[in-house]
Formats: sequence, structure tokens, C-alpha cells
Amino acid sequence: MSSTESSGIAVPAFGRKGKLWLGLLGALIVAGLAAWGYQLTTGLIVTGMRNVFSWGLYIMMFVLFVGLSAGGLIISSAPKFFHSHRYEGFARLGVLVSLACITVAGLLILPDIGRPGRLYQFFTSPDFRSPMVWDFGIVLLYGALNLWYLWLLTRRDLAAAGSRLAFGLEDTEAGRERDRKFMFWTATAALPTAVALHSVTGWIFATQIGRGDWFSPLVAPVFIAKALVSGLGLLLVVAVLADRFTRFRVDREELASLGKVLGIFLAFHVVYLLAAERLPHAWADHFEFWAITGSFLIGESAYFWLWTVVGGAVPLALLAIPSLRKRVPVIVTAGALAVVGTMFEGIRLVFTGYEVANIDAAPGISLGGSYAGVGTDIWATAGSYTPTLIEIVVTLGIIAIGALIVTVGMRYVPIQEPDGQHAYATDGGHEDSK
Amino acid sequence: MTNYGLVIDQERCIGCQACAVSCKQENNVPMGQFWNRVLTEGGDKLDTPAGGYPEDGQDGTLDMAYQPTACQHCENAPCVKVCPVNATYTRDDGIVEINHDKCIGCRYCMAACPYNARVFNWDEPDHVPEEGTGDVEARPQGTVEKCTFCSHRVEEGLDPTCVVNCPADARIFGDLDEETSTVSKYVDNYETDRLLEDRGTDPKTYYIRGEMSPGRPQTSDKLESELDDEDNDEDDDAMPYLLGAKSGGDD
Repeated sequence: MSSTESSGIAVPAFGRKGKLWLGLLGALIVAGLAAWGYQLTTGLIVTGMRNVFSWGLYIMMFVLFVGLSAGGLIISSAPKFFHSHRYEGFARLGVLVSLACITVAGLLILPDIGRPGRLYQFFTSPDFRSPMVWDFGIVLLYGALNLWYLWLLTRRDLAAAGSRLAFGLEDTEAGRERDRKFMFWTATAALPTAVALHSVTGWIFATQIGRGDWFSPLVAPVFIAKALVSGLGLLLVVAVLADRFTRFRVDREELASLGKVLGIFLAFHVVYLLAAERLPHAWADHFEFWAITGSFLIGESAYFWLWTVVGGAVPLALLAIPSLRKRVPVIVTAGALAVVGTMFEGIRLVFTGYEVANIDAAPGISLGGSYAGVGTDIWATAGSYTPTLIEIVVTLGIIAIGALIVTVGMRYVPIQEPDGQHAYATDGGHEDSK
Repeated sequence: MTNYGLVIDQERCIGCQACAVSCKQENNVPMGQFWNRVLTEGGDKLDTPAGGYPEDGQDGTLDMAYQPTACQHCENAPCVKVCPVNATYTRDDGIVEINHDKCIGCRYCMAACPYNARVFNWDEPDHVPEEGTGDVEARPQGTVEKCTFCSHRVEEGLDPTCVVNCPADARIFGDLDEETSTVSKYVDNYETDRLLEDRGTDPKTYYIRGEMSPGRPQTSDKLESELDDEDNDEDDDAMPYLLGAKSGGDD
């Protein structure tokens, strides 16, 4: 496999640091597998979940990673749909990050399943009324679409570099011409698929009448908004990290411009949609200034504040102040905070569904934990949840698989977009000399 | 069509937990789990009232009631609609049941159920005695389980065990589609409500509040529909719950 400097490969070879990084990821993955194995034999009893609070970290992180997988694909496909060359420097990396995130999301479902051995039932006995079946289908479709798109974007360069990943494809001018058409059509398919993915994931919750705030028509649009926020935030962070540690180079102008876009997404999500969700209820309740403001501010959990302030107001301010918003560290900080904020928004959503039981008369609901003889309190009238070490290790292991996909992708796939003017020159790009 | 339902007279319920315990035994419900719970409407703890004593300057508003709660066997059951693999389904006789062979353990049904009627086997289910109790299907680790209206008994023409074992005659089981069944008559004639009616799940468990019904004295453990005509004729006078006799008890 060619690893010449002109191939657009961001990591021509793994150096000492690279190997250390791979070792760390490998260790996390092995630890995650071991923890999952332990959980499989002992049962989900080793998690913090119980009968009242029956979905936990795995589902919270599933929601986060489905959202994270949006940014890359949208940033690479939206300009292509409009026949624009904007943000082209991010296109390939974006799709690679999307692919990694949707893989992580899909894998996160596995440890949440009580009997993963029966998952084939999804094919042999599906109930198409279940939003989970819709989501299962769309996650698979979205993953396949990302894989195809990444290959489409890079296959001529792979062929030029003589990579086996070109699967025998030739690098010809006519072929590149044709691929450009394919890219347009793939972008055309990618946008509605991304919208469907986030809406369907939102509808898993939004269709449920039994769980507090879940039953709201706004949930699906909010999922789209948070996908835009977190997905773009992650892409910016990964791009800058790649710029720092690999041969991948970020265009500063495009980075600053995407930072501004992130600010707009944040304002839409954390300011507008939140207000749109809260105002009608507050207004109907007591039409009085402090009553309305109060219902925004009082009685909210820490997760709410971590989301709206740490992950909302702070990055929004960073991206709004003209003297700050073009600085790379500021953009990275804002992107990272946006991801953290979105994570807590998802955590908060799950908590609002489970922490209050609709029927909470004493003694409550049997928890189903291990029974340790007379005196064991098996009852609860409200849900509470803290993830266990096992859940955290399994989750980190799966996230490490995502990081591994991005790392290996940078090693074998030309992530660096060739220079705009020579976008499809036969020789696969020459950005690296920069 | 048969459409099984349950009427629970909360005025008759004495909070003895016999239904909860006999359910556990009949269905071999694992340690630490309950399919059927008798909740106390009142104070913060089991068997405690709300309000104050009628002395020491308190207002004498002590109040307590019992609410036996299990799967409500909803007509529009959210758990049935969310199950991705058709493991939870509604039988032709209206009972909402789980096929434990199909259940993958995703717990979407637990998220969907507004009544928290479902429990999950977080580990290998524990039973005392170890070989278990009751002639029912085993539910393995990693699957969800819940009240079945004792479908294994109903299929044999017997009432659910919670109904048979209620010493206060507070539980009546029967066919809601059969106009002459006691459940149908009670739903028609008494003020009943259903839990969380605003959620639109259309439960088939009805609760009588306010005016106490005559209940259904348990003369045998057979389903009402299985009692032959002779039984009925014989018992007509003795059983005030058969509606002819009802008008007298009203005032």
C-alpha cells in the first residue's frame, strides 16, 4: 500500500505516539469486551438499571452517538447537494467520523439487550409498528450509506495510489466525472436519511405516553437540532486534533466559518427550541413575568444546567464574540462543550422519563435487584440511576472502537481533500506539502 | 369474541395482600419481583393513612385506601405496539401476554408501560423453593415478565388465582363482551374508573370507588362462564351479585 506524501493519507505510518494511541484504544476495547462478557454471564444486574429506571447509560450514549453521526455527513453532503465546493476540506473526514459514530451507536445497543442471542428476531419476527424496528432499519441504512459515501469520495484517489481499497477500480478522468454525479445523488439521498435517522430516534421516545416529557411532538425536531449541534461540534474538534497530530491540514477560514455555523445551530437548539417548548405551558400556567421566567429557571436538574449553560450559553458566547470566535482553541472548546451539552441533554431526557413513576403509591414498584433475605428493600416509588463501572467500561470500549475506525481510516484512506482547483486531478492530491 | 377483564372493588379490598402473594406463588414470580402489588393510597408507607388524627389539635382527616395494581391488560396496549419482535402481543381473548421465547430483553415495553407493571430478570431468577412454585413457563434471565391474568388457569376454565384467593370478594374476572357476565354488569352499573385513563390506553381493569358492590362470592374456582346452568339456578337467590337482585341493595 502506498504511503507517499502526495497520497492524501493523513497518517502514512504509525509512529511511536500513534502506536501508543492504538495500544490505548486496544486496551479499552479489550476491557470493554471483558466487561461485556461479565455482564452477559451475570446479567444486567451488574448495571445500575432496575425495574423503575430500566434504560441507562447505553441508551443515553446511543442517543448521543446517533446525534454525533449527523454532523460529518451533513457538512459533506449539503454543499455537494448545492453543487458548492464549500467545506470540501471537511467532507471526507466528516463522513469518516459519521461512520465511526453510527457504528458506535449501533454497537451500544448490544450490551443493553438482555438476550443479544435473540436479536435475529428483528429479522424473523419484526413488528413494524415499533419505532425500534424503524430505528434498527435506519441505523443500518445510514451506516451502509456512510460506508459507500466514504468510498465514493476517496476511491479514485485510492486507485491512483494503487490501494487495494479501490477494489480494482481505475483512476480515469471519465470515472471521476461519473463519480461527481454519484456524489450528488448520494448527497441527495444522505440528507433525508439523516433527517429520518434523527427523527426516528426521537420518536422512540416521543411516541411514549407513559414517560413524562418524552411524549412531545417537539422531540424529533429537537433531535435534529442536537444532531446538528453535536455532530458539527465533534467534527470541528476531530478536525483540529487531526491537524495537530497528523498530516491532515484544516483550512482556517473554513474552520472559522463552520464555527459560526455551530453558533447558529446552538442558538436554534438551546435558545429557540427550548423557548418554543417551554413558553406555551408557562404562558397557560400564569401569565406573569416571574412565573414565566421562573418556570425556565427553577426545579431543573443539574443535567439541565450542564446542557443549557455549560453546553449552551458558554459555547454560544465563545462563538459570538468577534475577537474570540476565529481562534482555533476557542472553536475547539466551543465544539467540545457543545458535544458535552448535548450529552447531558440526552441524559436529562432519559431521567425525565424514569425519575417519576406515574403511580407512586407506597410501597411502589419492585426493583428486581438481588434479593438478600428478609429486610431487603425491594421497593421504590421513584426512579434513580447511577451507572456502574461495568457500564462505563463497556461504553468506553465501544467508543474506543469508534476512535479506532477514525484512526485506521486516516491511515488507509486519503482523508485530505485534494486542492480545490485540482479537485479531481489524476494524481491524488498534494496538500501535504503545506 | 371473548374479551377478558377484571373489576376490582376498592371499597371491598381490605389490603391483606393475598392476591399479591398468591400471584407470586401461582406464577413462580422470582424473589425481589412482584407482578401484582397492593398499593396504599394514603401515607408514604405501606398501610399508613394520610391526614391527621382527630385529636391533639389535628383535623381528623385520616384517610387510606388500597389499590391493587398489576398489568391492566390495555385494549390499546403501548407495550404491544413498541415490542420490536412481537414478543408481547394481545391474545384473541384480550389477554396481553409475552412470548418468552421471542423476548430479546430490550425493555422498550417497560419504557412504554405507564403503570410500571412489567419487571425484568436482571439476573438468573431466584425462587424459593429452588424448583419453584406453580405450573407455569420458566422465564430466563434477560427477559421481561408480567401478569398474564393467569392465562394458564383461564385456559383450564379457572379464575385467575388473585380472584380465587381474595377473601373480601373484591376481585371479579370475566368476559367484558358477554353482556350477562358480572364484570359487564358491574362496569355498567357501578361507577368505575380505570388507572391513568387520560393516557388513552383503554385498560381492561376497572376499579369501583365510592359505593361498595356486593362483590362476587367465590363458590368455586371456576370461571363464571364455566359454571353450568344448574350452578347458576341454584345460586340465583344466594348470589346477590347476579343483577336481578341488585336493585334492592342500592339504597
